[in-house]
Amino acid sequence: MSSELSDDRLLVEEFLVESEELLQGMDQDMVALETAPDSADLLNRIFRALHTIKGTSGFLGFEPVVRLGHRAEDLLNALRKGEAQLLRPTIDALLATRDFLGKMLGDIRQGGLQQYELSGLLNELEAALKSRSDPPTLGELLVKQEAISAATLDAVLAEQSASAEPRRLGQMLVEKGLASPLEVGEALVRQKEIAQPRFAVPTMRVEAAKLDDLIDLIGELVLERNRLLQISRSAALGDAAIGELSSSLGESAARLSSITEELQSAGLKTRMVPIETVFRKFPRMVRDVSASLKKEVDLVLLGEDTELDKTMVELIGDPLIHMVRNSLDHAIEMPEVREKAGKPRRGTLRLEARQEGDQIAISIFDDGAGMDPERIGRKAVEKGLVTAERLRALSTREILDFIFLPGFSTVEKTTELSGRGVGMDVVRANLNRLNGAVEIDSHLGKGTTVKLRLPLTLAILPVLLVQVADEIYALPLRSVLETAQTNPKHLHLVEGSEVLCLRGETLPLLRLDQLFPARSDLNAMTSEKSDEVGQSQKVVVLGVAEKRIALLVDSLLGQESTVIKPLGSYLHRCSSLAGATIGGDGRVRLVLDPAGLLKNLQISALSRKATA
Amino acid sequence: MEANANNSERKSAAHEPRKTQAELLQLVGFRVGGEEFGINILRVQEIIRSQPLTRVPDSPEFMEGVMNLRGKIIPVIALRKRFGLEIIPADKQNRIVVVEIQRMVLGFIVDAVSEVLSIQADSVEPPPRLSVIGREYVSGVGKLGDRLLILLDADRLFSGLEEGMMGGAVAEA
Repeated sequence: MSSELSDDRLLVEEFLVESEELLQGMDQDMVALETAPDSADLLNRIFRALHTIKGTSGFLGFEPVVRLGHRAEDLLNALRKGEAQLLRPTIDALLATRDFLGKMLGDIRQGGLQQYELSGLLNELEAALKSRSDPPTLGELLVKQEAISAATLDAVLAEQSASAEPRRLGQMLVEKGLASPLEVGEALVRQKEIAQPRFAVPTMRVEAAKLDDLIDLIGELVLERNRLLQISRSAALGDAAIGELSSSLGESAARLSSITEELQSAGLKTRMVPIETVFRKFPRMVRDVSASLKKEVDLVLLGEDTELDKTMVELIGDPLIHMVRNSLDHAIEMPEVREKAGKPRRGTLRLEARQEGDQIAISIFDDGAGMDPERIGRKAVEKGLVTAERLRALSTREILDFIFLPGFSTVEKTTELSGRGVGMDVVRANLNRLNGAVEIDSHLGKGTTVKLRLPLTLAILPVLLVQVADEIYALPLRSVLETAQTNPKHLHLVEGSEVLCLRGETLPLLRLDQLFPARSDLNAMTSEKSDEVGQSQKVVVLGVAEKRIALLVDSLLGQESTVIKPLGSYLHRCSSLAGATIGGDGRVRLVLDPAGLLKNLQISALSRKATA
Repeated sequence: MEANANNSERKSAAHEPRKTQAELLQLVGFRVGGEEFGINILRVQEIIRSQPLTRVPDSPEFMEGVMNLRGKIIPVIALRKRFGLEIIPADKQNRIVVVEIQRMVLGFIVDAVSEVLSIQADSVEPPPRLSVIGREYVSGVGKLGDRLLILLDADRLFSGLEEGMMGGAVAEA
């Protein structure tokens, strides 16, 4: 018994020496962690030290040490996985834990562990574990949105954890048809919103040269201001002729306008990042996916240094991933099939980005099977999207466009990867949101090119200015299909809703002054008068996806490139507005959202039908 | 709720050092509908002349529109409408008081701005139950010589803004 004890004693002594060393290191690491909360290295070191102490303590039967160490380990583990946030209280709790461990080790050295009141510290650790800004899971959000039931979620989650290669929950739900891609998308966006602290300041890296350009331009601006001041001084003194003054004023204004233009573009350039940040994901993804499909694919990336607005880069990632998956899954054939068709065994997938004017074009090319317009056409007729006669009149391009319609799929077999043809409609919707466009070009047996076009930035929007009563509104130019003259002869009432007949086509009509009721009586009178007189008015035809609406306005004021500004949270409920811009006179002009206008129109038509 | 808590915190913090003496409240005084109001000067960002506003569809009645404040777009509220007073034509005395509430910058239109006032905090009494204009937004009534000054609580003034917007949208739909 006594020899056993002395053996133990020896072990304990070793343990104490080792542990005290470890605690010493932990102390330094924890303090360092406070200044470098992202350091995985520090976290790992602390974790390993703690783990060693805990492990040996368990072996030696120091139960309180194990209990405390275990809870601290949980916290560190969560920190390593990024599930908990390293906040001040977290560090405090960890340091307190370290001190307490030190105290317990001291007690062991002094003769034995005492009774400890650990609950306070354990609670602190527990609280730190939960101090994360805990974003709800996708499943929870979907249940909350009432997109799926809790039971469905549990079933799918169980399947997910049971499967050997767990896939993303959202993907599984969509493939099973339990949730629509839209619902999943919404939940994902919501999750992201929750995960990001509301008032966190987003930061980004900016190339120093871009800032230098900006500063240079500001310098020029200052010089020009001095010039203007001088002109104003000499005007005040009256020692210059009017003609002279006006010509130097004109010069100055011209230079000022060119400087501000350059300044604007230099400012926007600071927001630009190379698309490489998105492209980087693909080599690995293509490798893994093609391996799992037993296909052989070479990925070619071109134009990775093409620059794009930061927000755009963030938003374009998912649609691109989707399309690359589509190409790998459906377009590129198995190696044997390719050989039989006289193509090289290895397929090629080419991603290319380049600037075209004020747009960025991203193309995804594959030398796969290509799309069969006949088959797509047949499918479209089957699904009742188009009549057989109408189909004959359509060009190949127009037929290929069917794949962008919701629910359209030519793939009979659903696969794990790109599912059931969901997606292309989502891709197009996403791009529309970014003021972009997507087009498709495919040759049967030769391959497919999908081309995405995006504006360089979301911040500048070309608009058409229209006047209604005494208000000026801006319409995004990309939605404007045409403008035309009209007179009351062309306006008709159909089921209580006004429509416009334009060259034999009937378009739903929207009167801006009705949607936005004029507040003062004066406005109401003028708009009534214009009706009575029956004078010709202007219409703007807006295209929203495949739908078109006509907007009745008083006059067209011309095009402009504007900087679009958010309206702020207090106005986000107004669906007809995309934002606001500031006009040359300093007044705020509202930018209308064509999609929102259409929705409002449909709602009011519905309610009219309901009341009629 | 949260905003109110914030506000009281801020108030107490601002007055902590002078706790021993009688506290002085610094207020921006302004007139609406013949009454004199005061709002804590710490809440006021600036005071500007009235300027053309852009009306916004589907917004609550008391929201007069939005304006451009050095490139930022801020909503402007007509205090007369908020208080349910008759609307009078704009005149040169009108001012827009710009305040920051819950990290939102807002403006409200007043008939006229008078002066910056200092009143003893202990002269402030709870709002009388009698009808005072905009009683639900009043945090107290202060005495300034023989004048009565109605103290506005900025947070309460705009607390219903979002709900109001919803109500407005529903009413118009």
